[in-house]
Amino acid sequence: MAKSDDLALIIAGCRKGEARCFSRLVDMYAGRCYSYFYRLTGNSDISDELLSELFVKLVQKITSYKGGSFESWLFKIATNIFHDFLRSKQRRQKLLDARKEQLESNFTELKKTGDEQIDRLQIQLKRLDTDTRELIMLRFYSQLSFKEIAKMRSEPIGTTLAKLHRGLKRLREFMEG
Amino acid sequence: MDNRNDENLKELFERFFGPEQAQMYLDDIEKGEQILREHPAPEPDDMLIANIKAQIALSALPRRANMVKRIAYRAAAVAAALIIITAISTSWFEKSIDVEPEQRIQVASVFPWESYDIDTLHNEVEQIEDELMDLESGGKKIDSNNDISEMEMELILIAGDFWKG
Repeated sequence: MAKSDDLALIIAGCRKGEARCFSRLVDMYAGRCYSYFYRLTGNSDISDELLSELFVKLVQKITSYKGGSFESWLFKIATNIFHDFLRSKQRRQKLLDARKEQLESNFTELKKTGDEQIDRLQIQLKRLDTDTRELIMLRFYSQLSFKEIAKMRSEPIGTTLAKLHRGLKRLREFMEG
Repeated sequence: MDNRNDENLKELFERFFGPEQAQMYLDDIEKGEQILREHPAPEPDDMLIANIKAQIALSALPRRANMVKRIAYRAAAVAAALIIITAISTSWFEKSIDVEPEQRIQVASVFPWESYDIDTLHNEVEQIEDELMDLESGGKKIDSNNDISEMEMELILIAGDFWKG
């Protein structure tokens, strides 16, 4: 049986509320989605939370999936979850600014213990702006075509191509520099 | 990450940036993605995956129960609709016949097997057969020439309806 037929059967099972079908989707996509979140946030705890949230949303929204590219639909939800996280992070940041000293001490502690010190790529990715980083990760982990990505981001395909090229070129420069 | 829905990147980039620049763009993208491949992101923890699956199983259960409830409600609604339609059509049918009570008794007497049990019906058939034999053998006085043929017709009708059930 073809992979797409398999996926269609699994999704049909999910729509009926079969937990084992949802489990199969978790097995199929958790790795890619986790990596996507990790590369965007650079934090494993936050990635854990976002991944859990993604699959909770998946269960809630599966009946609204009307066919087409499942990856596109799934990563659209993932992207929205990441955007929500960024917004809440900004709100938190405003609150934390009031207690700057405490925040600085926490940040120093995080630097000592976090994974990001080991991962050179993660450090360099942080030098890119959020939108470019998001585009690079979406392309790499979602396996979507440029056409689908451009549609998802509501921008012309030429813009998507140019942004991705510029972003990856800069990333390479950072890594080689 | 090799599968990109088989899109023709060369053609796509040539369309937007021209044939000369397209190859350069593609090379840059390939080199950039090579860096991503060389630095794989960490995988989710097994415990996290198990937690997510458990969470899903818990949230999927009420969904399934709700689905069963919805099916039961629909079945009940269909049954209720059938009962209502039957009731309405029965009352309409009774009104449309508009038969006097005396006539109803006559109708009932014409079709006795509709309400009688099978033994009663069998007895009646035997009784008619006996009467027919009496008439044919001349044991009973014949009042009319049509009596025998009427009796035969009645017997045939009863027998036919009896075997139809």
